[in-house]
Amino acid sequence: MKSPKPKSILIIGMAGGLAKITAHLLAKKYPTIPILGVDPRPIKDDFHLDNLELYQLPYTRGNFEKLFRDKKFDIVLHLGRMSHVSTNPGYNIRKRLNLNIMGTNRILDLSLKFKIKKVIVLSTFHVYGALPDNPTFLKEDSPLRGSFNYPELRDVVEMDQMTTNWMWKHQNKIDVVVLRPCNIIGPQIKNVITKYLTTSAIPTPMDFNPMFQFIHEYDMANLITESIEKVPTGTFNVANNDVLSIREAKSIATHSTQYSLPLFLVSPLAKALNKTVLNLPEYILDYIKFPCVINGNQILKHFSKNPIRYSSREACELLTLD
Amino acid sequence: MYTETFLGDRIIRETEKSSNDSMFCKEHDSPLRNKQAKFGAIMELVNKLRKLIPLSSDIPEEKINDLFQELFERYPDGEDPWGLNLEKTQKVVETLYPLYKDYFKVRLFGKENVKNKPYIVVSNHSGQIALDGLLIGLAFGLDIYPPRILRGMIERFVTNLPFVGTWTAEAGAVLGDRQNCLQLLKRGESVLVFPEGVNGVAKSTPDYYKLQKFTKGFYRMALSAQVEILPVAVIGAEETYPYVYQAKGVAKKLGLPALPLSPSMLLGPLGFLPLPSPIDIHIGKPITPPSDLHGEEQDRDIREHIYQVENQIKDMIEEGRKNRRPFWAVKKET
Repeated sequence: MKSPKPKSILIIGMAGGLAKITAHLLAKKYPTIPILGVDPRPIKDDFHLDNLELYQLPYTRGNFEKLFRDKKFDIVLHLGRMSHVSTNPGYNIRKRLNLNIMGTNRILDLSLKFKIKKVIVLSTFHVYGALPDNPTFLKEDSPLRGSFNYPELRDVVEMDQMTTNWMWKHQNKIDVVVLRPCNIIGPQIKNVITKYLTTSAIPTPMDFNPMFQFIHEYDMANLITESIEKVPTGTFNVANNDVLSIREAKSIATHSTQYSLPLFLVSPLAKALNKTVLNLPEYILDYIKFPCVINGNQILKHFSKNPIRYSSREACELLTLD
Repeated sequence: MYTETFLGDRIIRETEKSSNDSMFCKEHDSPLRNKQAKFGAIMELVNKLRKLIPLSSDIPEEKINDLFQELFERYPDGEDPWGLNLEKTQKVVETLYPLYKDYFKVRLFGKENVKNKPYIVVSNHSGQIALDGLLIGLAFGLDIYPPRILRGMIERFVTNLPFVGTWTAEAGAVLGDRQNCLQLLKRGESVLVFPEGVNGVAKSTPDYYKLQKFTKGFYRMALSAQVEILPVAVIGAEETYPYVYQAKGVAKKLGLPALPLSPSMLLGPLGFLPLPSPIDIHIGKPITPPSDLHGEEQDRDIREHIYQVENQIKDMIEEGRKNRRPFWAVKKET
């Protein structure tokens, strides 16, 4: 079932790389409709689009509601989940919980209050957790075990669960699409996995070699753009069906010889480096140890043509381009 | 081809030869000569042991290359989402080939029962360290045409083990999970299951070849996927350790799946090496699951069918034990 063309779009998390690419694609697809970008962080205005307005606002303040009241948009893209890489994961957990859980809750409530037609929420495949007993090709109804071993992932799981519950509760009033993409990588994206893949100083595990799925930032932005009209209410995994082992992916992405260490050596090293320079969260160690391969077929049923252009291998190869 | 030649005959021949050699050494007595003689004696002993357990250096590289060329056509990326790595598997097969052919002297019976289609291969489990899975996998890859990577379903604790989890995955093993099993069958792959579970391998010597109670999951999978069950009996793997006592109570307290104790383990790490018991793999006639049942049937409706599989494997074990080779049978040099 196809949704009508949007009249105005709000992008939350506009300071992020994915949001910027999405804004470009939206501006190209809908050149006449107004697009608003909002983020509590400063938005680097390194791009200019005629129909884009930018606002630096926290999601929990009154001005944010004013935006909903004044601007009359009908589509909200919530791409503003705070990741673990930009802040020290231990120190800022309160800030992250506040933004990811309370912020999302407020966005959903405001969307309902101001009769928004569709909200697209960007979650992550991390909600499933990387565990040794994960079956391959996890479906959307698999249990969310991401925070079992790492409480720092609590906000990610809670945000997803809260949105999904809210979605079914209000399914007759508003369309909500929750996307759980695999590893989004690309030159604009500054997430944990991109940092891991492109930092040649970080070794790969010698004793484990799980399979990974990657989606290129352009493909992800394209899929979000296309979802506005084509994807109905529901929770969807987003992934390529092709996979790469982590060692293979890292050797492609860094374009150099890799060195491996047994994880029992890597683990203390990563912890030490995390506290000093790298700022990688501890949970990443489980993701380079155990598989978390998801089944992305469900969302593809809503597209006549596969919106994902690049394979996992190609996405890694594109990381090496300037 | 193998004959029931007893190792004892060889020991006598080798001892005679060895005593002649030592007599020769005594005639030239000097410190250097003594050293050389000692080294020579060690090498001789190594060679003798090598002859007693003949490991051929003749790996049929061409044959293995051809088989893997076919497999690469099936898996063009050389990898799959479960972690299979064909390039590494080929190296593993080349390394293990002498173990398969010469150390365990594997004989395969009933390969005419295997057709070019997916199966749930169901086998008895034996041998303390689950060598049977490895040998069945090699048999399906090397001695059955067209070659296939048999996807062994492994216990959850294995996937958690450093190195071991990765090696098994690269060789085609997957976590024993229903979702994995169904996905693989849907892709036309054959899976290998041991419905006895850990109880099958964790047996004390008096219980050797006693089939443990089968779990029901494999039959439900066969019904869901409507795939034939291929019964397999492995004979000889139980004797790879001379005498085993399973300390079940201690294992439970330590949180281990099993704790086999064997006198050979007094030798240290060397004692953990399995003995070269000749192994026979018997493949039975496929069993077609009834089409009027589905995967979610009640236990009572499928129990009889599971007994049928169990009984067929029990009969194959009995028959196989009657026709087995003696423990010290060696490969006849032709």
